[in-house]
Amino acid sequence: MSKLNIRKVAVLGAGVMGAQIAAHCANADVPVVLFDLPAKDGKPNAIVDKALAALKKLDPAPLGSKDRLAYIQAANYGADLEQLRDCDLIIEAIAEKMEWKLDLYQKVAPFIREDAIFASNTSGLSINALSEGMPAGLRGRFCGIHFFNPPRYMALVELIATATSEPAMLDDLETWLTTRLGKSIVRAKDTPNFVANRVGVFSILAVMHHTQQMGLGFDEVDALTGPNIGRPKSATYRTADVVGLDTLAHVIGTMDATLPNDPWHGLFKAPVWLSALIEKGALGQKTRAGIFRKQGKQIMVLDLAQQDYRPSAGEVAPEVAAILKNRNPAEKFAQLRASSHPQAQFLWAIFRDVFHYCAYHLADIADNARDLDFAMRWGFGWSMGPFETWQAAGWADIAAAIQADIDAGKGMVDAPLPAWVFERQGVHEAAGSFSAEAGALKARSSLKVYDRQLYPEQVLGEAPKDRGETLWENDGVRLWVRADQDARIGILSFKSKMHAIGEEVLDGVIEAVARAERELDGVVLWHEAPFAVGANLQQVAQAIGAGQFELLEKTVAKFQQASMTLKHAQVPVVAAVQGMALGGGCEFVMHSAHRVMALESYVGLVEAGVGLIPAGGGCKEFALQAHTLAQRAAGGDVFLYIQNAFQTIAMATVAKSAQEAVGLGFARASDDILFNPSELLYAGIRRARAMAEAGYRPPMMNPAIKVAGRNGIATCEMMLMNMAQGGFISPHDYTVAKAAATALCGGEVETNAKVSEQWILDVERAQFVALLKNEKTQQRIVHMLETGKPLRN
Amino acid sequence: MKQIQEAYIVAATRTPVAKRNGMFRNVRPDDMLAHVLRGVVGKVPGLDASEIGDVIVGCAMPEAEQGMNVARIGVLLAGLPDTVPGLTINRFCSSGVQAVADAANQIRLGQADVMIAAGTESMSVMPQIMGNKVSLNPAIFEKEENYGIAFGMGLTAEKVAEQWKISREDQDAFALQSNQRACAAIAAGHFKDEITPYTVRTHVPGEGGTVRVVESVCDTDEGPRADAAIEKLAKLRPVFAARGSVTAGNSSQMSDGAGAVLLMSEAAVKRYGVTPIARFVSFSVAGVPPHIMGIGPIEAIPRALKAGGLTQSQLDWIELNEAFAAQSLAVMRQLELDPARVNPLGGAIALGHPLGATGAIRTATVMSAMQRDASIKYGMVTMCIGTGMGAAGIFERV
Repeated sequence: MSKLNIRKVAVLGAGVMGAQIAAHCANADVPVVLFDLPAKDGKPNAIVDKALAALKKLDPAPLGSKDRLAYIQAANYGADLEQLRDCDLIIEAIAEKMEWKLDLYQKVAPFIREDAIFASNTSGLSINALSEGMPAGLRGRFCGIHFFNPPRYMALVELIATATSEPAMLDDLETWLTTRLGKSIVRAKDTPNFVANRVGVFSILAVMHHTQQMGLGFDEVDALTGPNIGRPKSATYRTADVVGLDTLAHVIGTMDATLPNDPWHGLFKAPVWLSALIEKGALGQKTRAGIFRKQGKQIMVLDLAQQDYRPSAGEVAPEVAAILKNRNPAEKFAQLRASSHPQAQFLWAIFRDVFHYCAYHLADIADNARDLDFAMRWGFGWSMGPFETWQAAGWADIAAAIQADIDAGKGMVDAPLPAWVFERQGVHEAAGSFSAEAGALKARSSLKVYDRQLYPEQVLGEAPKDRGETLWENDGVRLWVRADQDARIGILSFKSKMHAIGEEVLDGVIEAVARAERELDGVVLWHEAPFAVGANLQQVAQAIGAGQFELLEKTVAKFQQASMTLKHAQVPVVAAVQGMALGGGCEFVMHSAHRVMALESYVGLVEAGVGLIPAGGGCKEFALQAHTLAQRAAGGDVFLYIQNAFQTIAMATVAKSAQEAVGLGFARASDDILFNPSELLYAGIRRARAMAEAGYRPPMMNPAIKVAGRNGIATCEMMLMNMAQGGFISPHDYTVAKAAATALCGGEVETNAKVSEQWILDVERAQFVALLKNEKTQQRIVHMLETGKPLRN
Repeated sequence: MKQIQEAYIVAATRTPVAKRNGMFRNVRPDDMLAHVLRGVVGKVPGLDASEIGDVIVGCAMPEAEQGMNVARIGVLLAGLPDTVPGLTINRFCSSGVQAVADAANQIRLGQADVMIAAGTESMSVMPQIMGNKVSLNPAIFEKEENYGIAFGMGLTAEKVAEQWKISREDQDAFALQSNQRACAAIAAGHFKDEITPYTVRTHVPGEGGTVRVVESVCDTDEGPRADAAIEKLAKLRPVFAARGSVTAGNSSQMSDGAGAVLLMSEAAVKRYGVTPIARFVSFSVAGVPPHIMGIGPIEAIPRALKAGGLTQSQLDWIELNEAFAAQSLAVMRQLELDPARVNPLGGAIALGHPLGATGAIRTATVMSAMQRDASIKYGMVTMCIGTGMGAAGIFERV
């Protein structure tokens, strides 16, 4: 690991990107100074203050928790440049105008320490040209750092070296971005629009070109170019609306201006309809109208033939949908090529042209094919990059088909495929990925930071993953070790779909922990995201259908037993959490001895949605927390702490980050929050080892928990009464929430009575089983299974 | 009750009323109380403070910063002699006018010649609007007829709106009028005489560990909105019922404030040579179902009129606490109160409602109106009360 210490960051430019980059640094416990121009009148920092206020309202949230805002300090170039001297990293993110940037560099350079790093978030300007605007002494520590919007959620950062960037500085920065900010790095060359935007914008232009050629509707194309081909739901045109049509036109303009010799140069023009929309001020989402527009609840789409909006209704034709369902990529591409359906022809054309473009430019724009593929996954949300898609479909066949189309004049340009395409059977191999520039395979980066990623994301064709050594498994779980990491820390992984928790998982957890107690020093509960989506509702519904309530009660008891097994195991159990940890998954998180959590963890007790309450010990844990917290408060009133937990459970609140999970009581301030989910297992193993070495003992069962009892339940009921009378909740919502209140308050006992942990578990279980027998709860469960959505009954 | 002498109000004053977490967010309710006690005593030059028989203070949530018998603490902080006692009373929103009635009664019974009635409330210091610790009796939920005890005030306003058919439009129009009247009254300086300006001293971190004290003089009510508009009010969402009509705009504001009233017997008036403002005429309270608590004045006003031997038409000035536009309009319509005489200077929707202080504050407003306008003979302060009651106190200009 590098010893690059970034104690403070400065971000220059409080626009959409600058402010969000600042927010993400604050998320990562790095204080930030956010600069912009001094306001012409009013408070000097008014521009930045406005940007900071906007951060709180953005969705998805750039901040991991709202209190992070306090770590971003507003500043302006007029009065505050001295503050730059404290900053170890300065990220410039102002408007894309070379002369503005160079002016700013002149102004700030005297205040930048020689050991600080200065990096530009430009998405298109030449990094080398910008570097020349810096004093010679600072050029060694200058580079490009290109984030994608929204920077908290988009993994990609392109790192661009200049001719004079110090290699060690770049390695340090890559390390810091990877582990501290959780970003996925691609080293890009200093070519216009770098890698992801170069290919991504080309892809959009190709889609636009073929949309018009084939006479398809924008909505129809979005139906084709979204999840059906492994791309985001917003597909092509909706994405354009979100990005902003003016921004898109600007990027196209940059390509037009900076790539005069690109064989596809003729394509780098905004279509007439796009320019017309921009002229009318219909810039997409930010102006509430663009290619799409919302009219009441109806989504309308621009229809070029009618020169007006019409209801959006685009669908994939059944015969094309059938082709897209084919799991064999080679067959799928062959069928697309063979079909005469315009949608199929369209899809083949857009893939063909992107493949053609990527192969043609690989040597100039990227170090190797893996970088290009990852750039498209991480920067544009494609599930597979263009080269791996091509390789999966049969490299030689596709290459021949592309060349045949070029020869037949069907391609967009007649530039030939490079010779290397025909000399290879693919670009990704176990030994590495092809570099067209070097004419050789390139292995992954050997930077130390990547040793922390035991299971990094892979492209197709890479060496298979190390599955470790299995110690024991059943249908629900696998207990295994990675002896190269620690032969006596077990890894417990769920095998179920979405890691839902059913009988076999419960049995597996209990047995695995028993084995770990005998044979190991600790356990890490780890698998790829999601952590767990909750109990296996299918099994619950089946048992209800068969009237097996006794069996269900036993299952709930087993759930509680599994939670308590995790909590009271003789070895530390560390939960490595990423993605959703809901319902029973959240309860396992709460019962673990420690948590290593990815920032992007979405944790909550959502049982109310299906008419149930947490009964795997979730209510009990909150009652226990209230008891512990109240002991430190004057007067020792436990209800103060129950009230928030009650609202969290009754409203099925889900924390939208690990930081929020701590705030809501699902995790603890002493837990570890990691920004790169690929590092979770590495950190989990080491945390479990450290706990074991430090003499871990499980917590003892508390025999005397002070509970809120009858008055507490009544006070919760007062809130419910008002919501029900006001028509905000249904009578069944009331019933479910009152059951939660009863469990949280330790049952209908006297206020401040002292009860055991087991008593609260019994109360929780009794309330749960009573709800299971309620017809309205049963309707909710069935509805959730059938539609995936909660029923309000 | 057989009274042996009349009770007269000889002075009244109040703080400006602040929005919850507004200009008084760092001001303690006991300090506000001490301030108005000093203010009202200061209005009677030459008063021998040791003659004050008792200081009765209304407070709706007498706990934490306003607990520990805030009345006695206020007396001591005000620098009144140790011999002056203090009593805190609570009848929720009517506590302030209840204090005036109780103080008058002490005089009327001959137990004292000089009394102070006051009210103080800071809603800013309450972590929850229902006080510092909310704890309901489980028995409430065992019987449907007791459910109303658990209803939030806003919900009871919805019930009143429904039962008395008070439309959203009428509520919003009433709220707008309240703001317009209050703004006009402030512009005309009508509150100037009754307000004793408060200098807020805020302690903030200064340089190098020193504490800086920032002073600001507060002399104007903070609540009224000059920019209130019917379109804006119409856009607000109902807060207490999904399909309801009661919004933040047509409900009273949560506030901080205090008021105090000095009362004397005829003998004391003569002894000090002061000119009394008004005679205390009568006071009544009455219970109503808790789930429609807002209609309390419908029962209380006729009782108070009867006790005073008056008819409703004799009332020239009515301070009807605007807990909600819905209940205010229900009361006004059912009793056929003349809208021109009700809250001529605006009400709690604009001016704010610091719960237990409101009765004393609005008594000061009536006294001020009587001093300004000789045509006002009878004035009344009335309000609804949580858990279902109404109160009304009547004063006669002398």
